[in-house]
Amino acid sequence: MHDTEGIIRENLRLCRDFYRCKIELARPIDEVIPGQFIMLKVPSAEIFFRRPFSIYDYGKRTVTILYKTVGKGTRALASAPRKERVMVLGPLGHGFEVHRGYTPVLVAGGIGIAGIHLLWKQLEKKACLFYGCSTEKEVPLLGEVIHQEPRICTLDGSAGFCGNVIQLLESSLSLVGEKPYVYACGPQPMFANLKGVLAEKRIPCQVLVEERMACGLGLCFGCVKKTLDDREPYKRACVEGPVFDLWQISL
Amino acid sequence: MNGSGTMGYGREIESLWSIDTLGAYVTKGLSLKPHHGNPPPRVWEEGQGMLNSIGLQNVGLERFFAEYFPLFKKRNTPIVINFFGFTDEEYIECAASIRPDPFIIALEINLSCPNVTKGGICMGKEAQSVFSIIERVKRRTPIPLIAKLTPEVADIVQIAQAAVSAGADGITLINTMPGVSIDLAAKRVAFRGGLSGPPLKPIALKAVADVSRAVHVPVIGAGGITDHEDVIQFLMAGAQAVQVGTATFIDPFAIPKMLAGVARYMDEHGLARLESLVGAAHA
Repeated sequence: MHDTEGIIRENLRLCRDFYRCKIELARPIDEVIPGQFIMLKVPSAEIFFRRPFSIYDYGKRTVTILYKTVGKGTRALASAPRKERVMVLGPLGHGFEVHRGYTPVLVAGGIGIAGIHLLWKQLEKKACLFYGCSTEKEVPLLGEVIHQEPRICTLDGSAGFCGNVIQLLESSLSLVGEKPYVYACGPQPMFANLKGVLAEKRIPCQVLVEERMACGLGLCFGCVKKTLDDREPYKRACVEGPVFDLWQISL
Repeated sequence: MNGSGTMGYGREIESLWSIDTLGAYVTKGLSLKPHHGNPPPRVWEEGQGMLNSIGLQNVGLERFFAEYFPLFKKRNTPIVINFFGFTDEEYIECAASIRPDPFIIALEINLSCPNVTKGGICMGKEAQSVFSIIERVKRRTPIPLIAKLTPEVADIVQIAQAAVSAGADGITLINTMPGVSIDLAAKRVAFRGGLSGPPLKPIALKAVADVSRAVHVPVIGAGGITDHEDVIQFLMAGAQAVQVGTATFIDPFAIPKMLAGVARYMDEHGLARLESLVGAAHA
């Protein structure tokens, strides 16, 4: 793997504090498995560590990320102009493993769509997608996905079902098809709710988690997620994850 | 070398470069029994530095030798085993249970971890406890022993002299410096951990300069080394070797780039051997 130079070709505010950034790379990167991420050197002298971003899309030597400004790293990225040069390391991490013979059900909460989109695309857009966000103002985050009639909910009821995405999933899980297999990305509380909803039938599920990271390569053991493995409970989100089996992590 | 705990178990970096690029690989801190480490968050960005609180997570000596050690033999790469314990006995047992091997060139004792039998005080802070533990460890292993010192002391030269008089064969300077980060809005401590990265460099350079003048064993410099010029500055301060840690997190090719940079520097300055630079800045 190389550390690849890229040029920002687009860094667009989609809605509220959500952005889409397209980076054209100097050379192609390895095949991307949905759920994998890049470590991006944000073009600002103020920002020390690289930042991890799920790969929203990749093709034609261009990697696309979707992000929300939550701290100084993402704020610095949001202010980066087009044509700015960045360094990109990736694809990194253990992505989603798609199991055949099941009905894939994708669940994304808020910016979690950034980690789910590529899987949805790879499944040729045939999977059921459940998407939840705060208000209708965040619905544009869905981008092209919206035309495929996903099941949408908002916390304030301004678009689609009123409630969170797990309540929406619970209300229609019996309708999605035989043998559902859930792939999810969203905030931590969403995973705990998800576990509750899927527990009775022990529906298989993989989740893409987020942790503070330093290296992204498994060198520092900084980004761990607690699992139910007694022998070695803390697993690295950057190597053993960021996709974990929901039934093997401790929430 | 890499700094302990900054290059996983060695195999992770191999998707980018071969581990034999290093002069020697320094292991993550190993203990006799596996150790789970701290809950996340474990890493924090603070200005141009890093705070970490990994909590010494490691698979234990037994699994290290079964699962990870063969790579270094295969790559013909010498290793330094960094180790720790929470009691004197754990340190001694740990060192004693490491069988000598041609690929193990040294043990590096981490003197910065809390000693539970001494009320959680880190033993590296007192010359007497440093002397005592090193003397006891030395009696139980024939492998050369390097003492890695914490900078959180009044007089690091005194600690280094205690280590050397107890039989330490080398000194690594310095470990991380304890620090906190404060959340301005929440008015509380956001993170506590060991500070590493560029902010540490001048402190480490001074420690290397002071200690290398005072002891006769090799000094290994560590602390904020980011490029080949930093490497050369540490040599000039009196280090015979260096360890690079945090820089790898920012640029995983930092070490190979430093090696190339040092080679370029030697060419440009007509140096056949780096030894001539060691201690050059000693006034």
